[in-house]
Amino acid sequence: MLQRFVIRRIIIAVFQLIGISLAVFFLIRMLPADPVARIVGMNATPDIIAQAKASLGLDKTVLQQLGNYIGIFSDTKDPGILEGSLGVSWVTGESITEEVGRFLPVTLELITYSLIIALLIAIPTGVVSATRPGGIGDKIVFVWGLFAGSQPEFWWALIFVFFFFYWSFALFGISIAPAPLGRLSPLTDAPDVITGFIVFDALIQGEFEAFVDAAWHLMLPVGTLVFVVSGPIIKMVRQNMVRVLRSDYVLYARSCGLSSRTIGLYALRAAMAPAMTLIGIFYGFLLGGAVPVELIYSLGGLGEYSLRSILYFDYPAIQGTVLTIAMVSLIIYLVIDILHAFIDPRVTY
Amino acid sequence: MTDGSNLLPGAVTRVPVGLDAPPPTEYRKRRRQIDLVRKFRTEFLFAVGCVIIFLSIFLAVCGAWISPYDPTFSTGDVSVGPPSLKEWPSLLWEALTSDMEKPPHWFGTDSSGLDIFSRTISAPRTDMTIALSSGLLSLIIGTFLGLLAGFYKNWATEILMRVSDLLQAFPVFITAMILVALTGRNTFIIVIALGIVYTPIFVRLTRAEVLSQRTRGYVEAARAVGNSEWVVAIRHVLPNSLVPSLVQTSTTIGFAILLTSGLSFVGAGVRPPTPEWGLMIALGAPEMILGEWWQSVFPGLAISITVFGYAAVGHGLEEDYR
Repeated sequence: MLQRFVIRRIIIAVFQLIGISLAVFFLIRMLPADPVARIVGMNATPDIIAQAKASLGLDKTVLQQLGNYIGIFSDTKDPGILEGSLGVSWVTGESITEEVGRFLPVTLELITYSLIIALLIAIPTGVVSATRPGGIGDKIVFVWGLFAGSQPEFWWALIFVFFFFYWSFALFGISIAPAPLGRLSPLTDAPDVITGFIVFDALIQGEFEAFVDAAWHLMLPVGTLVFVVSGPIIKMVRQNMVRVLRSDYVLYARSCGLSSRTIGLYALRAAMAPAMTLIGIFYGFLLGGAVPVELIYSLGGLGEYSLRSILYFDYPAIQGTVLTIAMVSLIIYLVIDILHAFIDPRVTY
Repeated sequence: MTDGSNLLPGAVTRVPVGLDAPPPTEYRKRRRQIDLVRKFRTEFLFAVGCVIIFLSIFLAVCGAWISPYDPTFSTGDVSVGPPSLKEWPSLLWEALTSDMEKPPHWFGTDSSGLDIFSRTISAPRTDMTIALSSGLLSLIIGTFLGLLAGFYKNWATEILMRVSDLLQAFPVFITAMILVALTGRNTFIIVIALGIVYTPIFVRLTRAEVLSQRTRGYVEAARAVGNSEWVVAIRHVLPNSLVPSLVQTSTTIGFAILLTSGLSFVGAGVRPPTPEWGLMIALGAPEMILGEWWQSVFPGLAISITVFGYAAVGHGLEEDYR
C-alpha cells in the first residue's frame, strides 16, 4: 500500500516539476521585460543589441529557445534540463547548476536548523499550554504564537543585530554576536566542503575552531527564523492537542485507566501529524522566503542568488532557481507525506 | 437568507437533515452568524485588532494630510535622533497649543533629512492600498473561479484546478519578486502580482465549500422551482460559500503587508523616495549597525503592529467559524 502511495506521489511530483519548468519559462517571457537592453545598457548601438541578442540566443523563436532550455531539438551544443543542466548564466557566464550547488546548501542549512529548533521549542510549549486550555500560561502562549507568526522577519533581524552586535559592544565592550558579514570570521579557515552545511562539515572533520565560529555566525540568522516560524507551529500544536485531548479515543483511553503520561504520548502523536505538514509548508516557503534574512546577515544563500538574477534579468538563472526550489520543496512534501502516513494510520493512500 | 426556506412560504424552515444534525437555532449560530458587536465587546484581542485595522485605514486615507512634514521632501536636518522620552510631554503640549514654526521630529530624521514620523504615517497610503486591493482582488477572482470550479465539474475547471495547484507550488516570495521586478516596480504592478500569488488560496477555499454546499437540499429546491443554473450558483450557492474566504481575507491582507514591505526591503518593490515601511527599514538598515536605530525601528514597529492587528481579527473570525 505504502509503496503504491509513494510511487503515485513521485509520478505526480514529476508532472508538477514538468509543469513548473514550462510555466516559469513562459511566465518570464510573457512579462514585458527587455533583458537585452538591461544587459547592454542604454547607450548601445543597434549593432551591439543585435549581437547581444544573438549571443544570448534570444533571436531564435520561443519554441527553439524552449527546445534549447529543455534539451530536445536543441540547435546548440549546450546540454538542457533533461541532461541535468540548468544552462549558463547570462551575467557570470558560469554553469547555473554549479552556482546553485554552491548557494543552495547555505539556505538549506539555515532553514533546516531553524525548523528543527523551532519544532523543539514549539512541541513542549504547545503541549503544556494545551493541557490547561484557557489558563494564564495558555493565553500567553497563544498571544505569543499569534504575534510571532505575524512579524516582519527582516526587521527583527536588524533589531537582533543592533542589540547583540552594536549595543552589547557599546555597553559591555564585547559583542555577543559577530558582525553580520557572512558565515565565518575572515581569520578562520573554512572547512572542506563535504555536505555544504558548514557547521556540520567542520564538526565531522574535527575542526573545532571553525565549528564554533560557524555556529556563532549562524546564531542570529537561525534565531531570527526560529522566532518568526515557531509562532504558527506553537499555535498549530496547541490547537491540535486541545482537539485531540477532547476526542473520544482519549476519553476511551482514560476510561481504560491508562496513565496520563501514556495518554499524553498518544495524543501528541496524533497532534504531531498536522504540525509536520506545517513544517513542510514552511520549508518550501523559506527556501525562497528567507531572502531578506540572508541579505541582512550576508550569508550568500539561494535567496540572494535568486534576487540577484531577477534584478539582472538573468533568465536562465531565474528558471534554475525556481526549478531548484520547486524540486526541493516537492521532495520535502513527499517525505513529510510519507512521515505523515507513518504517524497517522488514518491517512488514506 | 438564501436557503430554501423562503421559496416555500409556510413550510417548516430549516429542517435538520441526518441523525446528528444540531437543532436549527444552534445550527444557524454556529455556521453563519458572527455577532461582530458582541465579539468586539467581549474579546479583547479581537477588539485590539479591529482598532488597529481602523487606524491603518484611517492613516491610509488621512496620513499624508496630517503629517507635519512633506514625506518625500528633505527637511534639512540630517540624521537627527528622536527627542528623549522625558521631553515628549512638553513637546507634545507645545505642538498642540502653539503653532510651531518647525514641528518636532517625533521619530527623528533619516540620513537624507526626511522626517521619519511623517513618512511612517504616510506609508499606509502605499502599503495599505497595495495590501487591501490585492487582498480584495484575489478574494473576488478566487471566489469566482472557485465557484465555477466547484459548481461545474468539467475539463475546463479541471484545468483551472491544475493551474491553481501549479501556482501554489511556486515559491511565493520569488514569484512575487519575478513578477514585480521584471514588469516594473510600481504600485499597480505590485497589486496585480500579489493578487495573482494569493488567488489560489481563495479558489481552493471556495471550491471546497461549494462542493459541500451544492449537495444540500436548498440547492435542489432552488432548482426545482425553475431557477436557471446561473441563478442557483450566484444567488444561492455563492452567498452560502463565502464565509471561509471572507474569514481568510483578513489574514491574507496581513501577509500582503509583510510581502509588500519585504519586496521593497530587498529592492524589488516600490522605488525610493516613496514612503513605504519596508523601504524605510532598508534605507535605515546600514545606519543600524552604526547606532542610528530610529530610522528602521519606527517603520518596523508600524508593520509589526499592523500585521498583528489583521492576524488577530483573522484568527478571531476563524475561531468563530470553525
